Amino acid sequence: MVRPRLILVALAALLVVGVAALGLERFPPPEFETDYVRPTTTAPNPPQGLWEYVDAGVLAVTLVLATVLILRTRNRKLIFALMLFCLAYFGFFRNGCVCPIGAVQNVTLTIFDPGYAIPLAVLVFFALPLVFTLFFGRVFCGAVCPLGAIQDAVLIHPVRVPRWLESGLRLIAYLYLGAGVLFAAMGAMFVICRYDPFVGFFRLSGNWEMLVVGACLLLIGMFVGRPYCRFLCPYGVILRQLSRLSRWRVTITPTDCIQCHLCEDACPFGAIRKPTEPWPNKEYQVARRRLAFLLVLLPVLIGAGGWAGYELRQWLAMVHPEVRLAQRIYLEENALVEGTIDASDAFRALGRSSDELYAAATQLRDRFGIGGALLGAFVGCVIGGKLLSLSVKRRRTDYEPDPASCLACGRCYRYCPKEHERLKRGREGLVRH
Amino acid sequence: MADLSQQTSADEPRVAYQTARTTAKVAGTFAIVFLALFVSNFIGTSVIAPLRENRLVEMKAELRGGDPTEEQLADIRQLDLQIRRNRMWRLDFAHKSGYALLVSVVLFLVAGKLARVLNEPPPRPRSIPDVGAEQIREARGSRWTVVAGLVTLGGVAALLITSAAPLAFVEAKETGPSYASMEEKRLQWHRFRGPDGGGVSVFTNIPTEWDGATGKGILWKTAVPLPGNNSPVIWNDRIFLCGATEQKQEVYCYDANAGRLLWTGDVPVSPAATQARIDPMEDTGRSASTMATDGKRVYAIFVTGDIAAFDFHGRRLWHKSLGVPESAYGYASSLETYQDRVIVQYDQGDGSEDLSRLYALDGTSGRIVWEVKREVPNSWTSPIVVEIEGRPQLITLTDPWALANDPADGAEIWRADCLGGDVAPSPIYAGGLVLAIEPYSHLVAIRPTGQGDVTETHIAWTMDEGGPDICCPVADGQHVYLLESHGLILCCRLADGEKVYEQDLRDNFTASPSLAAGRLYFLSMDGVMTIAEAGPEYKELGKSELGEKCHASPAFGNGRLYIRGLENLYCIGEPVAGGRAD
Amino acid sequence: MPQRNDDVTRRRLLRDGLWGACLAGIGGVAGFAAHKGQKVDWLWQIDPYKCIACGNCATHCVLEESAVKCTHVYGICGYCEICFGFFDPEPLAINEGAENQMCPTGAIERKFVEEPYYEYSISKSLCNGCGKCVKGCNAFGNGSLFLQVQHDRCVNCNQCAIAAACPSQAFRRVPADQPYLLKSVDHV
Repeated sequence: MVRPRLILVALAALLVVGVAALGLERFPPPEFETDYVRPTTTAPNPPQGLWEYVDAGVLAVTLVLATVLILRTRNRKLIFALMLFCLAYFGFFRNGCVCPIGAVQNVTLTIFDPGYAIPLAVLVFFALPLVFTLFFGRVFCGAVCPLGAIQDAVLIHPVRVPRWLESGLRLIAYLYLGAGVLFAAMGAMFVICRYDPFVGFFRLSGNWEMLVVGACLLLIGMFVGRPYCRFLCPYGVILRQLSRLSRWRVTITPTDCIQCHLCEDACPFGAIRKPTEPWPNKEYQVARRRLAFLLVLLPVLIGAGGWAGYELRQWLAMVHPEVRLAQRIYLEENALVEGTIDASDAFRALGRSSDELYAAATQLRDRFGIGGALLGAFVGCVIGGKLLSLSVKRRRTDYEPDPASCLACGRCYRYCPKEHERLKRGREGLVRH
Repeated sequence: MADLSQQTSADEPRVAYQTARTTAKVAGTFAIVFLALFVSNFIGTSVIAPLRENRLVEMKAELRGGDPTEEQLADIRQLDLQIRRNRMWRLDFAHKSGYALLVSVVLFLVAGKLARVLNEPPPRPRSIPDVGAEQIREARGSRWTVVAGLVTLGGVAALLITSAAPLAFVEAKETGPSYASMEEKRLQWHRFRGPDGGGVSVFTNIPTEWDGATGKGILWKTAVPLPGNNSPVIWNDRIFLCGATEQKQEVYCYDANAGRLLWTGDVPVSPAATQARIDPMEDTGRSASTMATDGKRVYAIFVTGDIAAFDFHGRRLWHKSLGVPESAYGYASSLETYQDRVIVQYDQGDGSEDLSRLYALDGTSGRIVWEVKREVPNSWTSPIVVEIEGRPQLITLTDPWALANDPADGAEIWRADCLGGDVAPSPIYAGGLVLAIEPYSHLVAIRPTGQGDVTETHIAWTMDEGGPDICCPVADGQHVYLLESHGLILCCRLADGEKVYEQDLRDNFTASPSLAAGRLYFLSMDGVMTIAEAGPEYKELGKSELGEKCHASPAFGNGRLYIRGLENLYCIGEPVAGGRAD
Repeated sequence: MPQRNDDVTRRRLLRDGLWGACLAGIGGVAGFAAHKGQKVDWLWQIDPYKCIACGNCATHCVLEESAVKCTHVYGICGYCEICFGFFDPEPLAINEGAENQMCPTGAIERKFVEEPYYEYSISKSLCNGCGKCVKGCNAFGNGSLFLQVQHDRCVNCNQCAIAAACPSQAFRRVPADQPYLLKSVDHV
């Protein structure tokens, strides 16, 4: 019996607020003498939720197909065809939303906002590529992701990006992921979706900033392979780490490496690693000392990052509209700025007290303190970890793709003489049977 | 023959490559052309179209002045149609050029990729002499880039951390609420007749002698632009008052030390008030209600029912109309503040139409926090908020009720049926009693500790030897002093209402009497201030003349007395006030 | 040699452990999120009681023609002869001439019903969501005109671009089974 009463109270409250705010019933709705009948308000229904499930199904099927094509068939042309299909379907047909990259934020919001629950299809979009990566490497990036596909499609004349530059630029993606998760957790906004560079192309319309940024990325992408995937994609950051652990993954050669060097420049994304050679003795000693130093540095970096993130809470909090509003109202109330803006007018029209707003904004600021500290610690950890991993000697005897960086596009297969042998055998096998 | 065919087959990839290349070039050119069209269309929509729309607005504005001719109207309609047609055309164009762009880009990419595949050089691995050294170099280079990234991030963070914190409100929050406490108000003169509306100053250093003719004792004098019978209110070094004519309603803020007009705030006359053609009695005027402040904002209400809030810098925070009041002599109740709310006693009509209200409006937004409907006719008294036994009570006088409400939510605490007629003198709270006057009839003292209807139980005493029709009472804890508008002072014991003395000042008064440092201040309409000692006997201490007619009650600051004449505002006192509050 | 084997085994164990942990982690997050229930999808909608009709809806939508359009609840409408949603604040005359109209696209249709009442209806194909009529109706009328996201047009971006630009934070996610926040007529 409590519920209906609560609803009644809520309705009454709404009514009072509504009347006060908008001055309803200035003119009482008329009683008509003629037989005029008031039209009812019609509002078009949203498209059926069925599509979401179709999308999830298509995602699952294409991921399976991509796995087969990349790991078993090893056919670049078919991979490319599948990629084009996914670009057409997820990109142009389904308008590129929701994608797994953005879904990271939906998952975060679900965890932190009690009022939001993630739709099942979005959850599938988030989790399925991760699971596939854990088993088969980045097959999602290779053939299914529409953002990857549009960049892959425009890649015409790849140039090599020096390893040092690549390592530096990749840090941006980690920052982007950290910021995306932080702002989603605080309910400020979905920053990753807000600055999605390609969604404007998928819809053939968008804000001009969006289109210009996207066009620039695509222009760069004609020469630098998949710049968004390699240097910006926040989801790619997660996939990189999972891919390191994957059960099966892309190999250049179907059997064993004969060290022919032919594949050396095959990868437009700079993911092929050469066999290593033993270091000179002197280098070993330096490396050991460096490693020790970096191991000590790691916790320092994490601590410093956490501290800096906490200290930056005021700046981070400014991303939240509520905090920006509080700031603006404060400036206006103390005559530190001239005039009002739409947001402050709206605030006054709704009749919330400024103290209430300040309290809410201060609370948000404090939450940003915790979030900022975590973000800072994460960034410190990433940089420390990166330095460590760049200081460890790896042992490699063959040419192989770097498990983290390999986007599973399948371009390198045909550079391997052993692959040609395999194909020939396959053809002969077909003829024989 | 054989030779020729061989040559052809060798040329085939070459020809295919050439074709692909040419196709790519052509498609690329088209792509650029379509891109240019697309961009120019975009510029058209975002730059040229708004210009036209502005032109339309201008044309409309031009016509507003006079009688539009058919031709002008046709022009406007033509332009409007053009704009709308243009918009549709541009939308359509954007669609088409967008698709064309997409197709040409796709074609360019396909051809370009094909050309690339057809002309791909065979893999030519670079032979690096020392792979080991190169790998060490690469790792070192990468480490340094990461370090550079770290330094950049650290630098940016350091820069931001050391620069001023952007969130100013956080510090503001820590300094407390955005309104003054009742204790702070006690040291100010934040409303009509000061703290509690009792007309009693906490300062003991109030001047006792001045002369308007010679300027003796007068610190400054400054003209008030618009007339009004409201009294000044004081917050620290700022003096607020307001004035109005039929067309204009203004709020003034003066510097207390120099008398400079700091700012003028404008309160628009609402269209309803313009239409209603309010014509108040001349003695009331258009701006009889005294302003009130909560220490952060000041509030003003006019005879039109237009109420507004300003911050101390003169920025209008909000204004609204409470509806044109139906008041026989013109609306005159002054405002009161409670926390960050402004309290409005809005009694109107003859009581039969259910028009009267008591409002609490949110000071920052003007939103109604609560309102109480009252079945009472128009009145001219002002509300007071006083703390009684640790609990604030909002006390108002109407016909026939003296009422107390909870200022937090408007809930009624008690009511006493003890008044009648056109009630005008406001209540005061003194010696544990609420004192209320029914003009020409009686003074009644109510113990404000009851609940519900206390008419039978909580009326301490009634003194029925007459009551002032305009001026409010003032009390010193022992006695209560009444001043009738024709100059008769009536002093009664506060404890039981026994009359102590009567004294005729033989002058006319509309300003209410006040009390400071044991001295009574009576300001006559001619601007003569009679100062007398408070006590069981009338003992005159002196008279000071201002030389200007006065209708408003004086306001008391630290060592200063502020008097509003019909045209000027006077500050009486020393340049530097040295005294302290009691 | 046996030591080396140990090393390899240990490494593999660590790897497998991490692998399992990651899988469990994904499962955990997915499980938590799924456990929160609610199978419905979310859509963007404008709270008409918060909207101040600033005009951003017309300019900030990712679609060329905004997905936000004016909605009219006839039950609240006063059927005013002089409608400030329809007419310019200072109309030259009370007729449907372009010079007197507020709507920049002529999307409001004014139809005589009976003395002195007029019906106003929005043709959605023309409306561009600028909210000028909404402002007029809220300021001087009953507020029966207000902006709503039209779900046949909205592509439901994960982060609505208008929501990010909305000064009154009137945009919010609503469950797909209640896709509109219409003003209620119950109190009339």
